[in-house]
Amino acid sequence: MTSKQTVSDAMTAHIETAGMDRREFFITTAAVGGTLVVGCGWPRRGDAVGVTTPAAPWYRESTIPEINAWIVIAPDDTVTIRISQTELGQGVWTACAMMISEELQCDWNKVRGEYASANRDAREEAPAWTLKNPAGPEPSPTDPRGGGGEGDLPATNERISWTGVYRRMTTNRSASVKGNLYFYQLAGAEARERLLLAAAERWDVPTSELTAKDSIITHATTGRTVRYGEVATRAAELEHPHPETITIKSAHEFTLMGTERKNLDVPLKVTGQAVYAIDVKVPGTLHACAKACPVWGGDVKSYDFDAIKEMPGVHSVVQFPKPDPGLVRGRHFSGGVAVVADSWWRAKTALDALPLEWEYPPYTHLNTENMQQALVESIDEPGRLVYQQGNLEDAMAQATSVVEASYDVPYLARARMEPGNATVLVTDDRVDIWIGDQSPQETRFSASQITGIPQEQVHIHSAHLGGGFGRYGNGPQAEHAVMVAKALKGQPVKMQWTREEDWSVGTTYRAMGVARLRAGLDADGYPIAMDIRAAADQTASSPHRSLVPPGYFFPNLRVTNHFADFHVPCGTRRATGSPSNVFFVESFIEELADAAGKDSYEYRRELISRNDFLFKDDWLQALDLVAEMSEWGTPLPEGWARGIAIDDRRYDREKPDVCTIAAMVCTVSVSKAGAIRLERVDVAFDEGFGFVNPLSVRKQIEGQVAWGWNDVMHQGFTVKDGRMEQNNFHDFPVSRMSEYPREVNIRFFKTNHWLEGVGEEAMSQIPPAIVNAVFRATGKRVRSLPLRKHDLSWA
Amino acid sequence: MPFPLTINGLQYVVDVEPETPLLWAIRDTLDLTGTKYGCGIGQCGACTVHVNGQAVRSCSIPVSAAVGTTITTIEGLSVDGTHPVQLAWKEFDAPQCGYCQSGMIMSAVALLQRTSAPTDDEIDSGVTNACRCGTYYRVRQAIHRAAALMSTPPAGSGGRNDDV
Ligand code: FES
Ligand code: FES
Repeated sequence: MTSKQTVSDAMTAHIETAGMDRREFFITTAAVGGTLVVGCGWPRRGDAVGVTTPAAPWYRESTIPEINAWIVIAPDDTVTIRISQTELGQGVWTACAMMISEELQCDWNKVRGEYASANRDAREEAPAWTLKNPAGPEPSPTDPRGGGGEGDLPATNERISWTGVYRRMTTNRSASVKGNLYFYQLAGAEARERLLLAAAERWDVPTSELTAKDSIITHATTGRTVRYGEVATRAAELEHPHPETITIKSAHEFTLMGTERKNLDVPLKVTGQAVYAIDVKVPGTLHACAKACPVWGGDVKSYDFDAIKEMPGVHSVVQFPKPDPGLVRGRHFSGGVAVVADSWWRAKTALDALPLEWEYPPYTHLNTENMQQALVESIDEPGRLVYQQGNLEDAMAQATSVVEASYDVPYLARARMEPGNATVLVTDDRVDIWIGDQSPQETRFSASQITGIPQEQVHIHSAHLGGGFGRYGNGPQAEHAVMVAKALKGQPVKMQWTREEDWSVGTTYRAMGVARLRAGLDADGYPIAMDIRAAADQTASSPHRSLVPPGYFFPNLRVTNHFADFHVPCGTRRATGSPSNVFFVESFIEELADAAGKDSYEYRRELISRNDFLFKDDWLQALDLVAEMSEWGTPLPEGWARGIAIDDRRYDREKPDVCTIAAMVCTVSVSKAGAIRLERVDVAFDEGFGFVNPLSVRKQIEGQVAWGWNDVMHQGFTVKDGRMEQNNFHDFPVSRMSEYPREVNIRFFKTNHWLEGVGEEAMSQIPPAIVNAVFRATGKRVRSLPLRKHDLSWA
Repeated sequence: MPFPLTINGLQYVVDVEPETPLLWAIRDTLDLTGTKYGCGIGQCGACTVHVNGQAVRSCSIPVSAAVGTTITTIEGLSVDGTHPVQLAWKEFDAPQCGYCQSGMIMSAVALLQRTSAPTDDEIDSGVTNACRCGTYYRVRQAIHRAAALMSTPPAGSGGRNDDV
């Protein structure tokens, strides 16, 4: 027997429920020692707030007094550090703890992390004295104080606040170090000073006579010592009389930072105990599997719940509307349905069987070919001027020869391994969300807007993320989950996309792009005029990034961006606009070197030497170092070749800005039949003032080698009838062990500036370096990615 | 329908449809969440477990086919992360996001069980899991290291191969 219930409102629309109250099912639990308990009963209604597991990374109210919002020190000296960034494999869980510990002077072996509370961040303001970057409101990239990144209060809007107690909670822009360093250091320093005050009070001596190291405070003249754990309770009560006088170390004074540290989250990741959002199980949870119209901007026309309501475990169907673009960074996603059941597999099985018709938006005529054509046509329009110097047309007219080439790159997904999901419980006055999220403040805002419950009553329990690769890429996972849970108020619901849903409907993409580059060369083959035109979707992320080559001397230069308006939601994917643009520019430089009949390393070196810009010496250092590392110019076996590329991923080309200079040489072999192997990669990578954790930097570069290879070799999303044609690993390949180069050499070189970042600064050079090497090996110049579309056989 | 399963030495009964993939019985019914869902179509390896000692993609076998077998998941490898493969993984700090790593480790353990000192080529063909973070460089080194750890006789044992 089935009861049917219909609920409607603006944000959640519609729910139909099957009569679960007449059904029984088993709950099976293993007891210690292998005996078995088979129970029959109901899932309990969730006591969501109490959900915890020993390995759960999320914030818990501490039972011992905290020193400040970031730091709790237990009597046994265990230091718990609240992490405001999200660990998605890039090492922030450890790096953030290192930045605080650097000043705290605690014993690193007793440091553990937990996620800072986005809820507390909504309720509590950061102390005013922590809001000022010691390097000033607009820090110079070469000032060793402060981090060089953001100034005092760069980005505050209704979705993101940087004045809440945990300041910058968004994990994006390579900024977890440069954007947070000074206030992490201040948090550590303030706690240390208060621990010193507590010890000074205990011994009745001035703090100036005390030193702190490895969680031990020493009074040198009397030889007395006390552990942090012994004075922490008192330190928690004491106020610092003049916190505004607290100073932090400059880059050259770091002692913990700059040393290789194993990542704190790794031990739990080799035992399967690390908790990702997809592993969360709130007691009494129902499971939802969602599907949205595959053409973005579409909606549900009709569905037939009656056809599936008797399927095992089915509870209900919730129809949810298109997520409000204001909640998803202006992107347009679709409306859809979620089947809710007592297990996810049952929900998915029923969703697959649900008769469902879509209301398609007017984009079903679009496909890769006609979209690419629209981009090509936009190239001939004036476009948006990114940069200009000299007089392009006059110089072009005087050129001895003109070289022109066009390139194109496909849509790419970030393709994180953990499919989108979130567990949500909405009650009358509170929302709880368990999620791996690169921007919990924005999710807090979304949940509040959808439910009407104030942000101060939204609790986000942050989990590690199974890959991220772009803040906006998570798509509307949280919004879907909150809409479904709102329809089932009082009932915890775990919404989880299938892989197919995540990659082909839920994510955002690196924009498809085309470019046309034209250079006028002088009699020696060096460019006197350079015209760079790059076209991409209107919603492309940083389409200008790396387009104005800061390194090369182009006396007359014009760079323009061109756009076509498509419905595909584009967003930040690792390295944003750089991978497309560095592919265009560094391929073209190679073509110019060929036209000039010059060695491509020497040609680049000459163009950099002729130019005059900040960090010029560092660029030359990078290029020379990688040439030396790779044994540039020495003979290789037949079918083997090297290719070179360089970039610094600087954001702002007009003024001195943070950057990370990296040069690569990729050595490839191509069989006569056209099979490519990446044999070896040499990387010269900018160390700036120094890294936080050089071990994580190496890992990030190693990972980017795989990313660059995937980008250039395998990956591409294509559009047909307005929707993506690929949706899983079989047609969007991710390379395996067998394709990873056996030899990867990474060398760091010291410079005197803050870095742009390390997690996406070694990726963009790999595709052009590989394409350049393939050209040397085969004589075939590939201008359209990925390589797997091309016949690269040679004789 | 109830299906008896032997996992990590414990007996369980799961009450699910016979075609339910083993993965979902393990993850959702039994809460052994170390085994991950990545693709659901046997492509990525995130769901790798051992069935009778062989690495198997648990998303691609129905629970009904697992009855009567011996299943090991990442949770069953060691109680405290001290399996040689886990030790080697920690030594090289191999995981990044970690999501693929349970499956990667289970594949590596299965490889080492059948090939005690694998060559690079054997690692390539024996561990075909996808890692989006691109941890392969460290995973390869960790497999070699684990092979060495596993071949080193425990201190004081006098060596395992004396009588061979
Ligand atoms: S989830 Fe089983 S192989 Fe991907
Ligand atoms: S460590 Fe992230 S997918 Fe492998």
